[in-house]
Amino acid sequence: MTDHWGRLKQIFASSGRRLVGLLAVLFGVSLITFTMTFFAPGDKAAAIAHARYPDANGFPPEILEGIREEFSLNEPFFVQFFEWLMRFVQGDFGNSFASNTPVWDVFLANITETLTLTATSLTIGLIAAFCLSAISVWRPGSLADRCAVALASIGAAMPNYWLGLLLILLFAAHLGWLPAYGTGTPAHIVLPALTLSFWITASQTRLMRAFFLEAKSAPYVETLRLRGVSEAEIFWRHILRHAAIPALTMIGLDVAALLEGTIIVELTFARGGIGSLLAGAVLSRDYPLILFLVMFFALVYVFINTLIEILQDFLDPRTSLFAFKDADIRKGARS
Amino acid sequence: MTVAEKLVLPEEPSLEKKMRERDFNRFLLNLGIGLLVLGTLVAAGFSFTPYAPNAADFLNRLSPPSAEHWFGTDQLGRDVATRILYGGVWSIGLAFLITSIGAVVGTIVGLAAGHFGRAADTTLMRVTDSFFAFPELIAAVTIAGVLGPSTTNMVMALILVGWMRFARLVRGLSVDLAHRDFVTQARLNGLPSWLILSRHILPNVGPSLLVLWTNSWSRTILSISGLSFLGFGVQPPNAEWGAMLLDGKAYMQTAPHLMIFPGLAILVTVLSINLTGDRLRDLIGGEALSD
Repeated sequence: MTDHWGRLKQIFASSGRRLVGLLAVLFGVSLITFTMTFFAPGDKAAAIAHARYPDANGFPPEILEGIREEFSLNEPFFVQFFEWLMRFVQGDFGNSFASNTPVWDVFLANITETLTLTATSLTIGLIAAFCLSAISVWRPGSLADRCAVALASIGAAMPNYWLGLLLILLFAAHLGWLPAYGTGTPAHIVLPALTLSFWITASQTRLMRAFFLEAKSAPYVETLRLRGVSEAEIFWRHILRHAAIPALTMIGLDVAALLEGTIIVELTFARGGIGSLLAGAVLSRDYPLILFLVMFFALVYVFINTLIEILQDFLDPRTSLFAFKDADIRKGARS
Repeated sequence: MTVAEKLVLPEEPSLEKKMRERDFNRFLLNLGIGLLVLGTLVAAGFSFTPYAPNAADFLNRLSPPSAEHWFGTDQLGRDVATRILYGGVWSIGLAFLITSIGAVVGTIVGLAAGHFGRAADTTLMRVTDSFFAFPELIAAVTIAGVLGPSTTNMVMALILVGWMRFARLVRGLSVDLAHRDFVTQARLNGLPSWLILSRHILPNVGPSLLVLWTNSWSRTILSISGLSFLGFGVQPPNAEWGAMLLDGKAYMQTAPHLMIFPGLAILVTVLSINLTGDRLRDLIGGEALSD
């Protein structure tokens, strides 16, 4: 029991340390993001003026100077950076240059589509990867296993926008079963989701297969088998749980990759969403929107990964928070 | 104890080691033959193709694959096969350059973090983590887009987002190595840092670095073509594979060959590099995981 509490304390201490590190990283992230837009070429005051008076042609210097004054564009880098950071932390993200509406509203209008797409793709991809890798490790080296491995290799090398184009060519242009571009009906999400999930399936099959194989070859599995535990029980109760922890880490990385995949897929399929929103903002130099979206992507990535690291600590069988018995058996088997 | 017993005989290499060596030599041989064949084919392609990559031929627009134009022609009558050949120089060559620069920067950062004490380690790794927090493509699109879409800006963007993996790997390995006996001994003997790093740490990091480098190379090819496809990379008149796909997208229905062949070129290239990298990892046991 004491050992148990000690381990728990250790987890909390390491979580605390992680949070401190997290703050440092968040600061670094905002510094890099701000630097990216700060040193961009072009006159920001003119861009703001254009957003305010879309019909005007050319601006008198007084107005530009007034805008520079208002947005502290004449201040040194760090003053501007901290002013922006303070406003950002307080939830004031500014107005989008393009539409002159709050960035937050623009974001809210677009995030649902991206979330629907990523959630659908992740679900399809993970289910497919789980089935493929389970079939694959059932008889390693069999034809099914080889096919799964080949599929995973091809999937990792496949540019996902090209897959999207091929799917459009086949299902929309030739067969005419599904709509190719835009959003609206549930049918619109099929091709983009297939495109994104193919990539998830490929990368996850490869990893899950490796984790399953590793868990399967552990000595305690042989012990369980000798004791007469059925293969199905070994798989569902033991191998799966052992493989779950490393797999979880990789899913975290995949979520990040999925978010960046949305930018390609949303543009390929001409869908709305924050990926295409970012591309548009970048091309029209809509700085408040760019700053917010890049920060959003980075924050999501950082939080998911931190969350996973903490979760891993709790789920690790060695922490024995949830599994006294199993851990004891394993300790005995190892010594 | 007799003298004979103290005498240490040169150890016969174990069977396992011999087999690994044999496998590795066979791999090098296959790789060499493969590269030779590929090189010959590409050289033959460059010298025998009668077309220039940007030579328009308006009488022969969007023609399907034929004996004259193996992969057909595009909307300006340019020969797709020739363009794919020249496009490979962009995609593969630029990716090679970007990955190599990233590897050098990352290795320097990683070695410094692993070797110059806790303060340097914490600072450098926080910086690395901060850069790592940006999804690669998002950062590349933003940097390349804000600076203005062009090949140079794309290369800069990809270098900026590509060095962190190397830094993490090298740092992790050199922290492990720092506690090994031979490094401690070297330090006790008063060897300067740069000698310890170059003679003892770097050679041991090398194999894993090579595996990660291969992996990174193929990823960068995908990033370059992806960015070009989105319009943020190599710009259309140039025959880059992603840019060619962007060009061909509009003619998808009438001339599907415009988007089949450049995509196949990317797929085959990335697949070959990946498979070579996997084999390499199996053989030299690099610790570079796929992340």
